[in-house]
Amino acid sequence: MNKRSNKCSAAERINAGLTRRRAVERLFRYTGLLALLLGLTFLCVLFFSIISKGYTAFQQTYIQLEIHFDEQKLDPSGERVYEVLSTADYGGLVKQSLRAAFPMVASRQEQRLLYDLISFGAAYQLRDRILADPALVGQTSRVWVTASDDVDMLVKGYIKRDVPEAERRLRDVQLAWLDTLETEARLSLKFNTAFFTSGDSREPELAGIWGALMGSILTLSVTLALSFPIGVATAVYLEEFAPRNRWSDLIEVNINNLAAVPSIVFGLLGLAVFINFMSFPRSASLVGGLVLTLMTLPTIIIASRAALRAVPPSIREAALGVGASKMQTVFFHVLPLALPGMLTGTIIGMAQALGETAPLLMIGMVAFIVDIPANIFEPATVLPVQIFLWVDSPERAFIERTSAAIMVLLGFLIAMNALAVILRKKLERRW
Amino acid sequence: MSTVLGKPINFSNERRRGERRKHTRATTSSATVPREDRQTVGTAAVENPRIRCTDINVHYGSKHAVRNVTLDIGQHEIMAMIGPSGCGKSTFLRCLNRMNDTIDNCRVTGNIWLDGLNVNDRAIDVVPLRAKVGMVFQKPNPFPKSIYENIAFGPRIHGLARNKTDLDEIVVNSLQNAGLWQEVKDQLDQPGTSLSGGQQQRLCIARAIAVNPEVILMDEPCSALDPIATAVIENLMSELCAEYSIVIVTHSMQQAARVSHRTAYFHLGDLIEVGTTESIFMNPLHQLTEDYITGRFG
Amino acid sequence: MFAAQASAQTTRDFISIVGSSTVYPFATVVAETFGKTTRFKTPKVESTGTGGGFKLFCGGIGARYPDIANSSRAIKQSEIDACVANGVLEIIEVKIGYDGIAIGSSRKASRLALSRKDLFLALAKHIPDPQGGEYLIVNPHKNWKTVNPDLPDVAIEVLGPPPTSGTRDAFVELAMEDGCAQFGWIAALKKNDEQRYKSVCHTIREDGVYVEAGENDNLIVQKLEANSGALGILGFSFLDQNADKMQGAAVDSVIPTFESIADGSYPISRPLFLYVKKAHVGMIPGIAEFLHELSSEKAWGDDGYLADKGLIPMPEEERIRFAENSRQLRVNLFSDKD
Repeated sequence: MNKRSNKCSAAERINAGLTRRRAVERLFRYTGLLALLLGLTFLCVLFFSIISKGYTAFQQTYIQLEIHFDEQKLDPSGERVYEVLSTADYGGLVKQSLRAAFPMVASRQEQRLLYDLISFGAAYQLRDRILADPALVGQTSRVWVTASDDVDMLVKGYIKRDVPEAERRLRDVQLAWLDTLETEARLSLKFNTAFFTSGDSREPELAGIWGALMGSILTLSVTLALSFPIGVATAVYLEEFAPRNRWSDLIEVNINNLAAVPSIVFGLLGLAVFINFMSFPRSASLVGGLVLTLMTLPTIIIASRAALRAVPPSIREAALGVGASKMQTVFFHVLPLALPGMLTGTIIGMAQALGETAPLLMIGMVAFIVDIPANIFEPATVLPVQIFLWVDSPERAFIERTSAAIMVLLGFLIAMNALAVILRKKLERRW
Repeated sequence: MSTVLGKPINFSNERRRGERRKHTRATTSSATVPREDRQTVGTAAVENPRIRCTDINVHYGSKHAVRNVTLDIGQHEIMAMIGPSGCGKSTFLRCLNRMNDTIDNCRVTGNIWLDGLNVNDRAIDVVPLRAKVGMVFQKPNPFPKSIYENIAFGPRIHGLARNKTDLDEIVVNSLQNAGLWQEVKDQLDQPGTSLSGGQQQRLCIARAIAVNPEVILMDEPCSALDPIATAVIENLMSELCAEYSIVIVTHSMQQAARVSHRTAYFHLGDLIEVGTTESIFMNPLHQLTEDYITGRFG
Repeated sequence: MFAAQASAQTTRDFISIVGSSTVYPFATVVAETFGKTTRFKTPKVESTGTGGGFKLFCGGIGARYPDIANSSRAIKQSEIDACVANGVLEIIEVKIGYDGIAIGSSRKASRLALSRKDLFLALAKHIPDPQGGEYLIVNPHKNWKTVNPDLPDVAIEVLGPPPTSGTRDAFVELAMEDGCAQFGWIAALKKNDEQRYKSVCHTIREDGVYVEAGENDNLIVQKLEANSGALGILGFSFLDQNADKMQGAAVDSVIPTFESIADGSYPISRPLFLYVKKAHVGMIPGIAEFLHELSSEKAWGDDGYLADKGLIPMPEEERIRFAENSRQLRVNLFSDKD
């Protein structure tokens, strides 16, 4: 009798509390949703602000000039020797063409303004054309050359026309010439291939990310080649073979701590050990790769250990039961099953390393490097460093190029993380 | 019989543990049987044994899991080990192929004689031992590889096959002997995990057979299987014992009664009674054995 | 493999330049032009800061040490001593031009006319008591009008570089120190207690009126665009490139322009230098040719490409002198130079 009445009041109490419990659960659900939406909003704002500033960088203003490749000026001897062709005055050809297009421009001042419409890299573009095909000497042809960065900014709307002349980078007379070129269909926006094929430059219209991209690829190759085998081997040893004693506990604590060390510390280590003690060349991708290896190793070791631990002991027992040695069990059974987790950890570590700037600062990879690095011993810079350097430049046109470079970097990061997800899904085996 | 945490509750004449009690057929409480009365009775020894174990003790840290077990496994026989949960039968089984080495704080002392060698000696290489003494586990654990690879792994690492043809032959033979060949002969490249539970367990048996063992240890092999699969495996065991000795740990007395030639009864780490299956079940000598068999606790 | 590294180091085939972030934009232009117009490789230019650059430069002689150091100030005696101690004995000093520091503001506001004394009174941490007397009080001024009644009634808000920046060092030395020394009793301190003199004249207030806006001058430009009442301390090249949005305050009645900085009438300007190791000429290919390019009229002349980038050229006779010096590779820096 007592029990039954106890049961009744218990049921009543449960029911009474239900509304409150449901309300709390609803609150948690909505809070979680709100947090997610907030995060997504910030992400969208980030992407929007970068893309809106950067998409214009993928186009570049070009001006079409009629260039007469005067043999007398370029190579009077007619032998087409490399040295002669290489050092000829192509700038003069550009200037001549401009004067021919605007014959009414007389005074030196005005002529200077006219020449300023064309990028100083145009001369080198003409030189490269001739060196590639010396048969062009003596002919006249219409060539699209890069316009100067101020013209580029005007065409894209970043320099406003309605500002008084004294406050503008382009004078009224220059605007008039540009309008003329436009009506003659000799001024147009084309795809900016130079952005993807050239290295750094002080002129924004000539600057590109290819040098930094090659540097990133070389550095990451070194990092991957070193950190993956070392990290996996360390994790396998620590997880499978090392005896469980105080030393191994100490090592585990230290590895976990290393994963949290600020990355610039690794840069200092790299400077002291690789550059000063071992005399590796400064600013080389090799040193950058080594420093980033040190930085990524803890991440890979921790992820690999977790992956190894996730392999069920039944698989190990089955292998041991058949008479496999510890080594054989690990290599033929445990490692293949842990590989997806290890790969995911590696790719995430690589993606982190791709975006690092601080450790590379100390080893000299934060530098103005124009030439594209050909191997891991040549000086190189990496994509995030390139962004960092451009952000500091005063020229207006670098703002859009910085955003475009950020878009490329983000694209790579997204691709790498997507690769991690795909690999994990593909290689995952159910046991 | 009501039990709490595996220990039987005696609602009448309860005595404290360790208290001496006259050992007559009328007593019912098993936990109160004093230590001296847990000596092994029956025939632990046989002539020309496959494996001879003497004075096996297993400690997990401070816990004494298996006490002073002396037991022989004969040639071409099926030995069943029965007993309530936590009585040390699986632990003892794992001593026979040194699988307890994989457990960190486990210490095994005593002698296990196989083919004239004491395999419990630290100096012995466990790798060939485990080929000689194969094991089938409670939950089927085929490798997440193809059926062919599952069988081929063992012979390959032990160097039992000189070329691919030899390896193929071994695989086919093992699957045939395990009674699985007809069902999987067309799908050898399918993953082992795609088979049903019973088929997986037979695959594991085939895997153990592939390395030419002398003894096969089975740790509750049918506990995760349905009755039909269980029956298939029990039939298989009867066929296999023509070639191998089989030691099976089982929770099911009926299974022990069905398949085994000899039975050993374990209780809280001690080997209480050993003998032919018939004598154990028809005429148990020890009170504890009788209590277990008649279902007073379990 | 180490031998390959060692040999890669001992036979560096590109020039290595380190140093000031102010000289960096100019050194890089010369480097790029040099690389494009000659067969030599483009020099590598690192922006390590003036002090950091000298530390690397004075490390020693050899391919693993840089060849040229950029500097936004003359080399200090202690740095010369460090160089000599490590075997760097022959250094060629080349002045390349002047850099102006402008007090910028958005064109939406009217141009301010400040004196250096105003700057000191507005930005120093401790100033002399406005009532008079020869002691210091914590800077109470929050409005330009209280600093100088001729100035508009606007709250003081100045964005400037952090203490690690060379621009800040130049600003406190050229602008604030001068305003501070106009108080006679403080000027007298310079002889008696230089430490105190420096701390009075060079310390900038930390109560939020002066906002450290990072090393990035582009950021200061953006913030000034958004906030028309604020002022920003930035390099002249940034003012020049953003002339449609920004204007420079007149300091001591001189508006910062190309001409006024060049002839020295704008007070906040400083010379920029390059220091070259003579011992590396010949060891590393192209140094002499690089100096030739740097000291050519088309580079640092009045119409040169460096002027296009915002460098204020030296007067002609100075240009001739330094050009001659560098082409002759004449060592003009001596260890007893002060």
